[in-house]
Amino acid sequence: MLIGLLLVLVVSILAAGPMFLGAYWLRILSTVFMYAVLAQGINIIAGYTGYPAFGNVVFFGLSGYFTAVLMVKLKLPFVVGLCVGAGLCPLLALALGPVLLRLKGHYFAIATLGLNEAVKELVSNATSVTGGGAGISLPLPPWGPADNAMFFYYLLLSAMLVSVWVTWEFSRRRIGLTCCAIRDNETKAESMGLYSTRCKTAAWAISAFLTGLVGSINAYWTTYIDPPGVFDMAIAVKSFVIFLLGGPATVFGPVIAALFLELLTTLTWSKLLNWHIGALGLIIMLVVLLFPAGLRPAWRRIQLALR
Amino acid sequence: MLILEVVLTGVLLGGLYACMAVGFSVIWGVTNLINLAHGSMMIIGAYITWLLATRAGIDPFLTVPVSAAALFVFGYSLQRWLFNRVLGTTLFMTLILTFGLDMVLININLALFTADVRSITVAYSSSAFEFGGIRLPYTRLAVFGIALLLTLMLHLFMNHTRMGYAIRATAQNARAASVLGIEPRRVYAFAFGIGAAMAGAAGALMAVLYSFSPVTGDSLTMKAFVVVVLGGLGSMHGAIVAGILLGVTENIVSGLLAPGYRDAVSFFLLLLVLLLRPRGLFGNRYLADARI
Repeated sequence: MLIGLLLVLVVSILAAGPMFLGAYWLRILSTVFMYAVLAQGINIIAGYTGYPAFGNVVFFGLSGYFTAVLMVKLKLPFVVGLCVGAGLCPLLALALGPVLLRLKGHYFAIATLGLNEAVKELVSNATSVTGGGAGISLPLPPWGPADNAMFFYYLLLSAMLVSVWVTWEFSRRRIGLTCCAIRDNETKAESMGLYSTRCKTAAWAISAFLTGLVGSINAYWTTYIDPPGVFDMAIAVKSFVIFLLGGPATVFGPVIAALFLELLTTLTWSKLLNWHIGALGLIIMLVVLLFPAGLRPAWRRIQLALR
Repeated sequence: MLILEVVLTGVLLGGLYACMAVGFSVIWGVTNLINLAHGSMMIIGAYITWLLATRAGIDPFLTVPVSAAALFVFGYSLQRWLFNRVLGTTLFMTLILTFGLDMVLININLALFTADVRSITVAYSSSAFEFGGIRLPYTRLAVFGIALLLTLMLHLFMNHTRMGYAIRATAQNARAASVLGIEPRRVYAFAFGIGAAMAGAAGALMAVLYSFSPVTGDSLTMKAFVVVVLGGLGSMHGAIVAGILLGVTENIVSGLLAPGYRDAVSFFLLLLVLLLRPRGLFGNRYLADARI
């Protein structure tokens, strides 16, 4: 009950955000929402199911390219691009899942990383369709800059709410519980009669859907994408850090951690022009070294110290 | 004849791949870290060689020990003071930690050497060994020879020295090793140092053949991983065979079939091996379940 009230309060404050926030903070919050969704996607496949899909960013880039190509080559509206982008990524996961999900641990992690590299190269080479290494420019939205900031703020906020709802439903339904059983002991889960391949693949498809959803929105938001920009492992790693900070297999953790990490990086690295890659790297390393078990144990420690 | 030349150049390239992969393999096998910064460490080695060759005019092949030594010190301190703090954490942690390191190294390289693509030319770059219409540049032959020599030296070190014994014992069972008076943390640092030194040497050798920039390291990391998985973790001759296999396949695909897909080849090879024979060509067991 209390949590429900708190949730309503937070959502209404966020929904009222554009009334008192400038374009700069709207942009930062929109980025927070985007990373929360990406981290939620990783949460489903890595947190609940135990498969570290390190190269999940492949769906982010692929969906962005689906949207871009549909809008530029076929002159279709953004809604169609969004639906196709977010719809095709789960299909790819369903096709590759039974193959790739046979691997475990390091092997699975690097295989997904390799998948990302291979798709990046395919997209870079298919110049006639995707524009190749030169990237592709999407049509500008028909409204002004102020409305634009608001549009993407609400779009990404809804995407985040959808991702939280999906994770919430996933965690309490049969499929989520099966995935937890697979994570804890796959052999035992199988011997109990659970179909592990089917469930793992379904979990990866959900994860791909969430990742593809924001990948498509991101493409329209930035209005220009190129292969190194959207198939960027730094995006994948940042969402992994958020996922770890928030605590694996928690519903709200990724959201809180996304806010924490995004504010931290904005406050520090935006002032370092030539060092921002390195600064982000350092922040990532420090976060892992200082909070190896996520934010929650650290928060407990602070509470204990204050008592 | 073109095909034969492409294949032979691929074999020569394979030596270099083996050399960079055994370093990756030592770090992975002993400390259980997938070193995503391996490629960037190679690039550091390449820059050291580039500096010495272009500024001081030293023959690039003579600078290989310098690059290796510098990277040994770097790797040793890194493991000793930083990575030893997170021993035995989850797989996620180690991947993220080394990726963070990779970003820092890329940025340092960008700041020190700019994003310009660099390459090294020596007086004998264009001279080649020729027979029956096939041309094999001497630089490639020398890189192949030195790379294989380094791999062999690592093999001898691991199998015939006290430190090598200690490293292998710790990799098998750190607890049992510490009972026998081996200090695992020191061994880990040493193993990481050795792996980094191999990366530095491989980077120095690579600089003689290929142009490089701070951001070219990532595809090298991927290739090192592919070779290790292909050959089997911890297997020296596996790494050599797998390196040559990757080099030849890459050369055939990019030289004769589709030039743009050089890096995608490694992924498809990787996928094929993981599905058909996950333990690799010469590996003893499938290590995916071992420690996550």
